[in-house]
Amino acid sequence: MATSPSYTCRWCGMSTDAPNLVSCPTCGAPVDVRDRVSASGWYELPAIPDMARLQFGRSYCQIEGSYVPVADFNLAGDDGVYFTHHLLLWKDAGVDIGPMALRGGWKRMFAGLPLLMTQARGPGHVAFSRDAPGEVVPVPLHRGMSVDVREHIFMVATSQVQYDWFTTGVWFQTKEGDDTETHYPVGMYMDRFTAPGTPGLLLLHAHGNAFIRQLAPGESLLIKPTALLFKDSTVQMHLHFEHPAGTWRSWRSWGDRFVWLRLTGPGRVSVHSAYDKLEDPGTNLTGSSPATRYQWRG
Amino acid sequence: MDTGTRVECQWCKSQNTPDARSCFTCGAPLDVRNLVSDSGWREAPRLRDMTEIHFGRSTCQVEGEIVPVAEIALGQGDWVYFEHHVMLWKDESAAMSVMPLGGGIKRAFAGMPFIITVAQGPGRIAFSRDATGELVVLPLHPGVELDVREHAFLLASHSIGYSFVRIKGLKNILFGGQGMFMDRFVAGNEQGLLILHGYGNVFERMLQPGESILLEPGAFLYKDASVTMQVETQRLSSGLFGGTGMNLARMTGPGRIGIQSMYVHHHTDD
Repeated sequence: MATSPSYTCRWCGMSTDAPNLVSCPTCGAPVDVRDRVSASGWYELPAIPDMARLQFGRSYCQIEGSYVPVADFNLAGDDGVYFTHHLLLWKDAGVDIGPMALRGGWKRMFAGLPLLMTQARGPGHVAFSRDAPGEVVPVPLHRGMSVDVREHIFMVATSQVQYDWFTTGVWFQTKEGDDTETHYPVGMYMDRFTAPGTPGLLLLHAHGNAFIRQLAPGESLLIKPTALLFKDSTVQMHLHFEHPAGTWRSWRSWGDRFVWLRLTGPGRVSVHSAYDKLEDPGTNLTGSSPATRYQWRG
Repeated sequence: MDTGTRVECQWCKSQNTPDARSCFTCGAPLDVRNLVSDSGWREAPRLRDMTEIHFGRSTCQVEGEIVPVAEIALGQGDWVYFEHHVMLWKDESAAMSVMPLGGGIKRAFAGMPFIITVAQGPGRIAFSRDATGELVVLPLHPGVELDVREHAFLLASHSIGYSFVRIKGLKNILFGGQGMFMDRFVAGNEQGLLILHGYGNVFERMLQPGESILLEPGAFLYKDASVTMQVETQRLSSGLFGGTGMNLARMTGPGRIGIQSMYVHHHTDD
């Protein structure tokens, strides 16, 4: 008996024997296009074909549009998804939505994180989009896999995915006069998504384009902190201050420093190309979480 | 006319010659498959760069894809109207005037443009809105009435009548995400051209009589006048913290509705 050859997706790593594939059934990445890998090793998220379907359990998600894509879930039986409520675009009248309890409500509220997650249960359709141009980034989670996502990037996850959040521990303090200010370049908290038992699907929204790279154990990379999209939980992060040569401090100084996030493998890191401006008033640096420094000499 | 040799546009239903690559009336590609989601949303056709659309003695050329420009070559005697802040450039020869409107004070209080500007041919004039999105080309057949969220219309041709309708119900005004008024466009005896700008991607769906769907109010772009809109609040309680309220617009058929994926976010009481 002839068997169709197995296909392993370069983006999500899932293998399938399904015949006549146009896109990966798990993450939607097209199978018939050449991989786009930069000379430096960044793998570009392949544009998901319009109307591609991502299968999970008995349900599936259809990706619609390209500038500001919509994730349209067709929930079968009592399959469910959870999301932050302001991303809901439309739903069938029969789809039930309700709150999902979260721990640490006070802390989340003070950190500007959504106070509650909303969950939707099938059967029926429910659709989501974020109000910014970019890409839907599917992150299928294999059993036992865990990823950390910068705040306000998360779009929607299937109910098999466990949600938690943690303190980033990445900060620096500046002082001007008597005022001391603490800055959190990757946010005070990060979201953590884990698939403890069965595989699940996590969807993120990247602003602009999304790129991913695999770091070997001990390999490190400097990125703009606000460009971080997600990372494997095995990847460590801390600050790096870089001081260029040929500058001097003045009362209107920009701080003579670049603030980087150092990511150290093993694991995947992903960035997006349209990132927020990093808040650094440029005043005296009085303290920080563990960080490395480098001063360039002219 | 031998209709058997004509090609019907799947978007606007106009008849085209067999050799046409895009619709003469709305610019939709005729050789590309209609994209319809399993849930029934039809994606607005992706207009090819430099596509030409025809109305009266005039043409409209669509330029660019991320923030597309509608460039109108107005024929003698033709005119279009628009909100003045969407003008990108114009020939000196295109004459400009202002359309007389009723209810100016009401419009001003509601945040709608106080005046609608008119450009008359011959001459060229171009329009774009300052956001990523799509041009939605809607040729209106005689008798069709279409309601459009405020500030979403880019231009309309002279044969389309313009008015505005007050949104009924305090809750619909406060939480409906549309403000107090919607623009209403009515095609008279002659077919006309209406072009909207949708933020992000645009999708359209036909609702059967009595069929309803719940929308994020900021996603609403246009609807047939026969579709009703009613805002509903869903409480999302989280015990100690009281939770939040989520407002959704229930749209009930019959008729078509259009939505945009990069929505104008409306107020929620969280």
